[in-house]
Order: sequence, then C-alpha cells, then structure tokens
Amino acid sequence: MTTSATKLTPEVKSVIGATSEFTEAGWGVVNKEGLRRFTHAIMDPDPRYWDNDFAKTTRYGEVIAPHLHGGGGGRPPWETLDPVSYTFRQNPIADSTRDAPSGRQGALPRVPTDLVRLLNAGNEIEMYKHPIMGDRVYSQNKYANIIERVGRDGSHMLIVTTETSHWNQRGELLYINRGSSIRR
Amino acid sequence: MTTRTGEELRNKQQTHYEDVNEGQMLPDYVLGPMTPTHIFRWSAAIENWHRIHYDQDFAVYHEGLPNILVNGSWKQSVLPGYLKDLCLPDGWMWKCSFQHRAMIVPGDTITCWAKVTSKKVIDGLGFIELEVGMKTQDDIETCPGQATIVLPLKGGRSVPYPFVPPKS
Repeated sequence: MTTSATKLTPEVKSVIGATSEFTEAGWGVVNKEGLRRFTHAIMDPDPRYWDNDFAKTTRYGEVIAPHLHGGGGGRPPWETLDPVSYTFRQNPIADSTRDAPSGRQGALPRVPTDLVRLLNAGNEIEMYKHPIMGDRVYSQNKYANIIERVGRDGSHMLIVTTETSHWNQRGELLYINRGSSIRR
Repeated sequence: MTTRTGEELRNKQQTHYEDVNEGQMLPDYVLGPMTPTHIFRWSAAIENWHRIHYDQDFAVYHEGLPNILVNGSWKQSVLPGYLKDLCLPDGWMWKCSFQHRAMIVPGDTITCWAKVTSKKVIDGLGFIELEVGMKTQDDIETCPGQATIVLPLKGGRSVPYPFVPPKS
C-alpha cells in the first residue's frame, strides 16, 4: 500500500534508547543436548563443541558453545501460557508468535507501530568469549536506533536496531549483537 | 569449493598474519543444497515460530514469497562460524557485520566466502579486514558484509582469550 504518512512517529521515537532489565537469556543453562541441536542445525561439526578429550587440548581447555548459542531464542518459561495456542486463537493468520505475552523478563516495550510484517535486515556482532557447559547467560537489550526508509513503491518502513549484550554468570562479556529488523 | 569435517577442524593448522595478503580469497565453505528440513530444524532448535520459515502455503500465498525462507538468525550463526573456522585453532573472529539482502530458499546451495581487504599489526597481533558473504549457486549475494579477524604473527604473542580488543 502506498502512503505518504511517516511511520517514524513521536511514539515510535520515544522508545529509542529504551533498555530492558538485565536478565537471564532465553536459552537458560548451556547444556549438552541443547548444544547438540544447535550445532547440528548450523551444520558445524567442530569437535570443540562436543569432544571433551580433544577440547582439553585446545586453548579453551573444555568444550565450548558457539557464541550465539548463549543468547536469543524464544523459549518461554514454564509458567507462561502456551504462546502458539494464544497467538492463533487471537489471529488465525498471525505470521509469528511475537505478540504473545512472553512472560520473559528483559523484553523491550513493543514498538508502537501498525506495521505488522517483520524481516531480519542484518547484524553486527562482536565476539569476546565462548559460553561453556553449565553457563547461565544473561543479556540486556536496548533499542539502539529506529530509522525510516521509503520503498520504491512509496511505502514507509521502519528499521529497528536492537543492541543485545550477553554475559555469563561470572560477569564476563560473551558477545554483543546489534540486530536490525525491517517493519513494513 | 570445499566442505568441512570435524576431523579437518580438529587438525587445522594455524593461518598466520604473514600468510594472508590484501586481495586474497580465503578458503570458502559450501553448505547445501538446503532443504525444508534443514530450515525447519533451525526453527525448531531455537523455537522461532515465524511462519515464513516452515509454512509453505503461508509463505507463498499470504506473504507472496517464492518459498519458505532460510532464517536470518541461522545465517548470523553460520557466517561467524565459517569465520571462526578460518581462525582456528588460536586466532579469533572478533567482528562481523552483514545485511540480509537476498532470500535463500530450499534447493539453494550456499558458499560462504571471505576476501582480504586490508591488514595491519596492532599491539603485536594481526588484524585482518575482510569482505564476506554467502552466495547462492546462481552467484547471488545474499549476505554481504565485513569482518575483522585476529591472527597471530609467526613467532608472535598469542591472541588473548577471552579476546581483549586493542585500545587504539
């Protein structure tokens, strides 16, 4: 749909800089089974992720996890309602479960826009340390920036950049991920 | 074009700062062909329920897409993983940024690639600037970006772990 109305409204601008609580990231404790599923899914056969004996001979001295295994993920806590059932009761053609109450601490406020479609635009990642087995990963989110772009068809879209820093339970910085999404 | 195995990664010899030069293409890595099962496996592993990644009817008839799509979040783990491999065993993939420019769909074969754009020594460590990406079999760049990897110099000091960026 073509429209000349800006989507970068004062309400949208008001959430720039909003910072979440410092909270445990979505993956919970780094564990062997979760690590197996993750590394299989990214097709990374590195034995540093699973071979204890070999890992002891590496600079890490123990099995490590890929950086991004430690953060993100949409796992709702046990005590929350089922986000899938909730979502599709509310809207049978919903494109995802992102609007279901997450029950998770650390969520940023919703960007107040009527743009409903969401696409991943890009990422800027800085790596410092790998998570290891048994680590609890903590994160903090911030809306680093929101800008507006106008498509070739004249439609307005928002590009929302969220900066998420991740630490382990010892307070060591693991990585920073600045992810940008397109709302259109 | 290459694939990689656990044994290759286990036995990989260190690439040093002196081994790479501006303009050099580093070894690439081929994944695929991607299937709906690969894509669904990732969505299930991270509990990403965005339907364009597993519901073909929704992707095609509701969203107007050519097929279900490979997740951006998958690419943001795979591309840094490829760069990690280039640095093994004792270098470090420090920074990586990229855009999701084109869709990857079932049937696509993906080549992760990296080209050296510049290099310099800082505090006794080799900082290599790269142009990176993930191309399809049709030479479509889906994920253009840049990266900074850190390699040791021959006979030089170890790259610190956890990584400590230079002050300058």
